[in-house]
Amino acid sequence: MELLRTTDMCVTFGGVQAVDNVDFAVDEGKIVGLIGPNGAGKTTFIDGITGFVPTTGSINFQGREISHLPAHRRSQRGLGRTWQSLELFEDLNVTENLRVAAEQQSTTGFLADLIIPQRRRSHTDVDFALDVLGIRDLARLMPTEISQGQRKLVSAARALAARPKLLCMDEPAAGLDTTESQELGRRMRRIVDAGITIFLVDHDMGLVLEVCDSIYVIEFGATIAQGTPAEVKRDPMVIAAYLGSTETPGR
Amino acid sequence: MTIGLAAGVVVLGVLALNREYRENFFTGSGVAEGALIAAIALGVVLTYRGSGVVNFANGAIAMYVAYVYTILRSNGALFLPPIPNPLKLVEWVVHLFQAHDTLHLVDIPVQISFGSSMGFWPALAISLVFCVLLGLLLHFAVFRPLRYAPPLAKVVASVGVFVYLQAVIILRFNTTVQTVRPLPFVHKTQVDLGLIKMGQDQLFVTLLVIAFTVGLWLLFQYTRFGLATRAAAENEKGAVVLGFSPDFLAGSNWVLSTVITGLLGVLVASINSTMDPVSLAALIVPALTAALVGSFSSFGRTTIAAFLLGMQVPLVLYLSANKGWFPSTNGTYWPGFEYVLPLIVIVVVLFFAGRSLPTRGAITLGRLPFSPNPPAWAMRVGGPALALAAAACGLFLFGPDYRGALANTLIGIIICLSVVVITGFVGQISLAQMSFAGISAFVVSKLSAEQGWPFPWPIFVGAIVALIVGLLVALPALRVRGVNLAIVTFAFAVAIYNVVFQNTSVTGGYHGALVTVPSWINPNNAGRYHFLGLTAGDGLQPNPMTAMFGLVVVVVLSYLVANLRRSTTGRQMLAMRSNERAAAAAGVNVAATKMLAFAISAFIAGMGGAVLAYQSGAVTAGPFNYPASLIFFAFAYLGGISSVSGAVAGGLLVPGGLLFTFLEDRFGVPTGLTLVLGGLGLILAAIQNPEGIAGRMSGIGRRIETRFASRRGAEAHQEVA
Repeated sequence: MELLRTTDMCVTFGGVQAVDNVDFAVDEGKIVGLIGPNGAGKTTFIDGITGFVPTTGSINFQGREISHLPAHRRSQRGLGRTWQSLELFEDLNVTENLRVAAEQQSTTGFLADLIIPQRRRSHTDVDFALDVLGIRDLARLMPTEISQGQRKLVSAARALAARPKLLCMDEPAAGLDTTESQELGRRMRRIVDAGITIFLVDHDMGLVLEVCDSIYVIEFGATIAQGTPAEVKRDPMVIAAYLGSTETPGR
Repeated sequence: MTIGLAAGVVVLGVLALNREYRENFFTGSGVAEGALIAAIALGVVLTYRGSGVVNFANGAIAMYVAYVYTILRSNGALFLPPIPNPLKLVEWVVHLFQAHDTLHLVDIPVQISFGSSMGFWPALAISLVFCVLLGLLLHFAVFRPLRYAPPLAKVVASVGVFVYLQAVIILRFNTTVQTVRPLPFVHKTQVDLGLIKMGQDQLFVTLLVIAFTVGLWLLFQYTRFGLATRAAAENEKGAVVLGFSPDFLAGSNWVLSTVITGLLGVLVASINSTMDPVSLAALIVPALTAALVGSFSSFGRTTIAAFLLGMQVPLVLYLSANKGWFPSTNGTYWPGFEYVLPLIVIVVVLFFAGRSLPTRGAITLGRLPFSPNPPAWAMRVGGPALALAAAACGLFLFGPDYRGALANTLIGIIICLSVVVITGFVGQISLAQMSFAGISAFVVSKLSAEQGWPFPWPIFVGAIVALIVGLLVALPALRVRGVNLAIVTFAFAVAIYNVVFQNTSVTGGYHGALVTVPSWINPNNAGRYHFLGLTAGDGLQPNPMTAMFGLVVVVVLSYLVANLRRSTTGRQMLAMRSNERAAAAAGVNVAATKMLAFAISAFIAGMGGAVLAYQSGAVTAGPFNYPASLIFFAFAYLGGISSVSGAVAGGLLVPGGLLFTFLEDRFGVPTGLTLVLGGLGLILAAIQNPEGIAGRMSGIGRRIETRFASRRGAEAHQEVA
């Protein structure tokens, strides 16, 4: 089943077309990858679908148009994201970081909060996120007290704690070595097994080719290829634009 | 922008065509006022461009330098701020053992004398040297250590400078009006310039300010210094490439700013021939307004806006005194409307410009004070124990002085709690908390004394009115981040004080607006109360039950704020304070949560005002003037901005509170020193110890806890699971 579809989506900064008429679809239960060289518009694309930059064209999520919704409403509908720069809440400990995402608040619910603050004690979503990523031992630490690799996992766990339908991950493997990257790939499989679809943007070709079910390749804001990892590896446009001539694809 | 310009041209056209309006708009006094506002505003723009600081203290700097000059001329002496004297401690120890105060060691001088009086030029020269030193001091001691700090910390420090400078002047010279001698080299002779008649002295300062504006524009447009400052504002490396250290640039701009501001402060105070520390420092409001119109970067637009804001004052005064259509109170003159236009302009600019401050390309390394989750023992044991101790002291142990101090401390805690919500949890600065308290206090007076509402209902209505006004004030600041709320609320605090709190139909004239207080909490009731075989009260005023009523409110509000921190809403607020984008991505409705915080904060401040009304029996405007909001902000920050325990510490520190009453009683520390220490403490807290006193204490507590936890090791891990 199709979870997300964009039609003619554009993002314009001044006179620059950062995302140019991209038609794009994510099927439920899959890992869909997006690759492209630096400045190709990958992060802007995630910003566009999650509501952090204004877009034109249509964005359809779970059969409903969401392009007019503000970012927090899209998040509440089940569109989660992580950030390349992580953007953890530095003043809250790891559990509290996750709880912000896990607990949706109606603006009237705060009155009850003033009297009985801890009434929502069920931590199932927080526990789920900590378990899937295997970071339960970090639960009571502050973001400043953990390593950069652990911070990446917390950032992903925070997005997962909201139990999104679709999780957009912005460069999760940046700065990881090959072993860590492979471990990340295994954890992403566990996320998908838990029923969450992943949209992955990354530089790490190894990771993207290994874990993704289908891949989009963009350059200068426009799609130049799409297909399974095997198809993308053989595509001559992709070889020219992104993989470069030194690496022979498919070997 | 074009709409704004067009509207401005239309208004000016109407003013120029109608003779009556024209003559009251183009006046020498208005233009001179505009020149001073322009100088303060140019200083604000300079320091913003040079170091990213929105200097709320610049009006206070103009005021302080004007005092330095005036005292040099009249007494031939340079007054000094209070300097701590370690010998006092020795005297105190000796006096502990001696019945008579026999030992008297050297006092630190309060001034450096140059003779009995001084001429204009030497006094001006010393004042300008003082300006240079002040600029260097502000740069090196205050704002350079904060160069990578978040904008909030810089605003806090500048508020600290404001409180400090004003407090030193009030300590030395009171708030009374000071006479300033005229300038010797220009006369008050009127010059007819066609559109406008003005004194030579007024014309002189006007031309001087215009020359400064053009000079600054040339400096920034055509010199390597200006180019480098502009480059540094974008990216500090840019300035380094041009061969300037960003530090040198920031320092130079500070000195330029204090010299221009101080010089015009001296000249305009001389032309006006009188000044006082409160209204002169409050000129920062129109100055910030002008700087906002100039987007904190254009000297020309800033100066034009400043002149217009100065010139509207005589016109508004004329209209309110002479025109039937102008708002009046009980059919008579309603003063204070000249303070309203800056507020309107700020609101309009913020509302239509969307974002007012261009984001500076500086790296932010600092962070805001950590807000700890209140530990369970504090909620279950610490809080109740403290409340019981306060009750026991207030009822049985304290004499009249300390009972009064306890009541003041309790009010202080309430106001500090309101600051904890808005600044500690959400990271926004409101400089109008005492204005919200004042609105509520006057509502309580009206409802209880005039409408006959029984206690305690007026309290809730007062607080809800404060909440609604708070929401209206916060609305224009909602879409923009940073220091805008501080600017709007400051302008609001000055406007509401002058327009509403000074209005005799609101304040009830000399005796204040009366409140009908039930006899059991009436402070003037000197009764004794018997509980369980104990006797509370000593037959003297104030009534011990007065503070008990305040204590009940404090306990309830403290638990509400602590619960807020532990709840989903509180976590959302802190998440938003750390990172608005990430909070939105986590599903937090940023706009609604901010509004909620403004509302809660104004409500709590309103509760404080209502309690104050019942504790005093009559509401006067004095406690609600704008410096009070700054001072409470200072003590809230000093106590610890991000926790209930910080608010309690802040409440102990407030003027007239328990700590300073104790210091005065035991060590003879003069009351006036409270505010000086408050300002100084705020500056130090912003630089050194953003967590405040309570944070320092809980940091020590946390380290001890961690040590115990590591001993227990395995247990702790199971607790996590």
